[in-house]
Amino acid sequence: MAHNFRSDVAIDWCPGCGDFGIVTGLTQALTELNYGPNDVVAVSGIGCSGKTPHYLNMAGIHTLHGRSIPYATGVKLANPRLKVIVTSGDGDMLSIGAGHFVAEGRRNTGLTIILYDNEVYGLTKGQAAPTMALGEKTKGLTKPNVFGKVNPITMALSSGYSFVARGFSFDTKHLKDLIKKAVTHEGSSFIDVLQPCPTYNNINTMEWYRSKVYKMDDEKAWDPVVMPEMPAEAANEKFSNAYKRGLEWDDKIPIGVFYDNRAIPSFVKRIAEYVPDYLKNPPAEQIVAGTDGYTNVDPFKTFADRVI
Amino acid sequence: MSNIDLNLSIGGPQGGGIDTSSNLISRAFASSGYNVLGVREFHSNIKGRHSYVHLRIREERPRSLKYPLDFLVALDPDTIFEHLEDVATGTVVLYDTNDEKAELAQARMIMRDTAKRINSTLQENKLELNVKGALALMKNRGAKIMGIPFSKVLEGTELDGPATRYYNVLGASLTLSIIGLDQKFTRDSLKHIFGNKEKVIALNVKVVDAAYKYCVENGLAGETLPDMDAAPRMLLTGNDGAALGKIMGGLRFQTYYPITPASDESSILEEHEDIKWLSNENEKLSSGGVTVVQTEDELSAITMAEGAAITGARSATATSGPGFSLMAEAISFAGIDEIPVVVTFYQRGGPSTGLPTRNGQADLMFALNTGHGEFPKMVISSGDVEECIYDSMKALNYAQRYQLPVIHLIDKNLANTSDFVPEIDTKKIKVEQSLRTENKTDFKRYTLDTKNGVSPMGIFGKDIFWMTGDEHDELGHVTEDPIIRDRMMEKRFTKLKVADEEIPDEDKVQVYGKKDARITFITWGSQKGVILDSIDALKAKGIEANMLYLKMFEPFPSKFVDKFLKKAGTIIDVESNMTGQAAKVIRMNTGFEVTNFILKYNGRHITEDELVSATADIVSKKKKIVVLENGA
Ligand SMILES: Cc1ncc(C[n+]2csc(CCOP(=O)(O)OP(=O)(O)O)c2C)c(N)n1
Ligand code: SF4
Ligand SMILES: [Mg+2]
Repeated sequence: MAHNFRSDVAIDWCPGCGDFGIVTGLTQALTELNYGPNDVVAVSGIGCSGKTPHYLNMAGIHTLHGRSIPYATGVKLANPRLKVIVTSGDGDMLSIGAGHFVAEGRRNTGLTIILYDNEVYGLTKGQAAPTMALGEKTKGLTKPNVFGKVNPITMALSSGYSFVARGFSFDTKHLKDLIKKAVTHEGSSFIDVLQPCPTYNNINTMEWYRSKVYKMDDEKAWDPVVMPEMPAEAANEKFSNAYKRGLEWDDKIPIGVFYDNRAIPSFVKRIAEYVPDYLKNPPAEQIVAGTDGYTNVDPFKTFADRVI
Repeated sequence: MSNIDLNLSIGGPQGGGIDTSSNLISRAFASSGYNVLGVREFHSNIKGRHSYVHLRIREERPRSLKYPLDFLVALDPDTIFEHLEDVATGTVVLYDTNDEKAELAQARMIMRDTAKRINSTLQENKLELNVKGALALMKNRGAKIMGIPFSKVLEGTELDGPATRYYNVLGASLTLSIIGLDQKFTRDSLKHIFGNKEKVIALNVKVVDAAYKYCVENGLAGETLPDMDAAPRMLLTGNDGAALGKIMGGLRFQTYYPITPASDESSILEEHEDIKWLSNENEKLSSGGVTVVQTEDELSAITMAEGAAITGARSATATSGPGFSLMAEAISFAGIDEIPVVVTFYQRGGPSTGLPTRNGQADLMFALNTGHGEFPKMVISSGDVEECIYDSMKALNYAQRYQLPVIHLIDKNLANTSDFVPEIDTKKIKVEQSLRTENKTDFKRYTLDTKNGVSPMGIFGKDIFWMTGDEHDELGHVTEDPIIRDRMMEKRFTKLKVADEEIPDEDKVQVYGKKDARITFITWGSQKGVILDSIDALKAKGIEANMLYLKMFEPFPSKFVDKFLKKAGTIIDVESNMTGQAAKVIRMNTGFEVTNFILKYNGRHITEDELVSATADIVSKKKKIVVLENGA
């Protein structure tokens, strides 16, 4: 019988919150991929979004505000067999954790990163998140937003993410399919999920998004995949197409896969080139003491260059 | 001739190969069977500013350094200016006669205030404001001035590129010849230093030969020193020791963000990621290596290490003050979530960026109090290279045994101390694994059903469990239940109580010297060696002293320390900080107040001569607090 990925913990998100759709899309994707509970780990930061791991019936860490990506990277690098899914907010990942977000693009560890994009800080009562546009005034703000916004799609692309997509939390079927693609992508994948927050964001509502989103995947000509053998020019064109699409927002908002580059080796693979037996016997699985309880490391041979 | 005991400093511009010079001297003496202890001093600069290595060479292993110097080897004018105060009667000052022309005003790489001070010293003595003047002052102070025309020595020797490029090897070779070390050892050492770069070795052999020839022809060569017998040893710095200890202690995942003096440890781990095994019987035991990740910042370094630790890898990170500041929140997380992680905390001169390449011990209180909220952590400290090895193993063990963050303090002085370690005992410390679950269904990661506070750990990929920085229930889910909160707090702190009971006193505090001595030094970290030597020096003067040497600050050996101090004579706290932090910790834990202090916070290592004279000032009741000021 397929594993039930929903835990028995009561969900305490506000009624109508877009977060519910993400949990639905995620659990369905994992079920359809036939994963067991020991194949996957969820890692989140702090925020409404940060509570996600508790609602999933699989191992999970609800970490510190902003630090979901490095915690997740530690998990993945210690045991690369695990599928590691990051579920964090836009404040978490693009403000306090922005440095890690960029660094992870450069690493391409092999994480699946799901951004809960509600344009606000939900859990601290509706302050502007870095995804909110300049001049916008949502319910929780005392005056219009004085910051410009970051664009998660173009930011992910410029940071080097090898899989960049956008979903809508009220189209769970489409989101589920995106998550399946993202989880099976070898490098790090990023999905910006448009996630209405009915409590604090009265501008970017479910209806607002419904009237604007369209699926790139429906277009026959849209092919975001970069294959390993592809000439640089063709690959660059895929990147610039993705970037251009990523800029669309005001009238129509594209959802689907912007960019899917299968040519960039994952960080796991890069490490495996240097660390002996890394994939066969990863850090989490190495036995570090002999049956007598003592080290099996030969200090004089390991540090032969220091012997005098 | 036998029984040599030489204090030698060799200095030159940063980037001028001073490490090679000191390495050559150390290695050559090593090959001949002697022992050498060294401390590297340098500016936060890549090229040009003054750096030097202070070495002590003896038959027995030296434990500390001493002024005045027996030898000052100057590879540039700055070295002569900077070390004016380190010479006295009998000091041999070896320099390149070409440097005699150099004016102090032109020595722009000397820190302005330092130059001003040198300027007034020379003026007071009515001497020229140049190298000649400085040498004259040294001569007045009894030093033996030995100018050698470096370019002349290498005249006729065919080299690749400008001769000045070889001055570091030349200076070291001249020194070795004058001291009387057999030429073959100096030649041999080049192989160690340059590895398989045959061409480089051949060129440098020519330099060595030219130096020895010059000394013989000019009657400078010393009487050849006898060879000592010595088994293979390792030339290790504190950084090396910590890296080696970590690998032996089962470390398989290390993260870091570059910072002096911590990142050398991570580079050393990277260089040795391919582990060599004692036995190849078991595949899982004798395969794999150390994964080292350079992260984007220290927030990432600590959290990535914790992520790996939760997943089952023995993990650590290494940093120094500025980086440790950024790690505080995640250390608190490791506390509430009971994560076995080690932070090797290399202290340097603070606050802020402070003295980034100099010594300091001002982070003890910070290490003890790091992280918000109350949670158990352990804080240990090392004082010599061997301790770096074994304490790194212990730190990983404590982290596993009690499932908590362990902070391992090493000071910059120790990190950059090089020492000859004769043997490494692989059977001294067992490598302990954390208590783990056995694939239980309904696994409770934080079960309260435990006597010692330790709950079996789960492993991602094998067990389902949750973790959160919020207070949590036994499963690891968020709770704000008042009763569970109390039980969880108590469970976590039980571990610290148990650690205090289980860990023997000698791993926390040690007493060196006679129990009933008239003077008791209290210290921690790298002062260990210099105090041991000072105790011997005082004894020679008929004064008995001992040392209470602290190794663990959390849990703190309160009873032992209290009992010992209550019976002690004149108690003097010796630390490399301004406020006597270890004494504060003692008072906090025992109520005992220490009132005599010998402190140093100029970032330089403490030497035997200044410690002995400061002790005399305190014993004679001239002073209660003595601030030490030695060092260029
Ligand atoms: C270091 C730190 N600073 C501040 C906070 C307070 N805080 C909790 S949640 C949050 C914002 C969450 O916003 P977002 O990441 O967008 O998540 P959302 O609630 O919208 O899902 C903040 C600032 C914290 N927990 N830790
Ligand atoms: S505050 Fe907004 S994001 Fe948070 S649970 Fe409520 S609706 Fe969802
Ligand atoms: Mg948000």
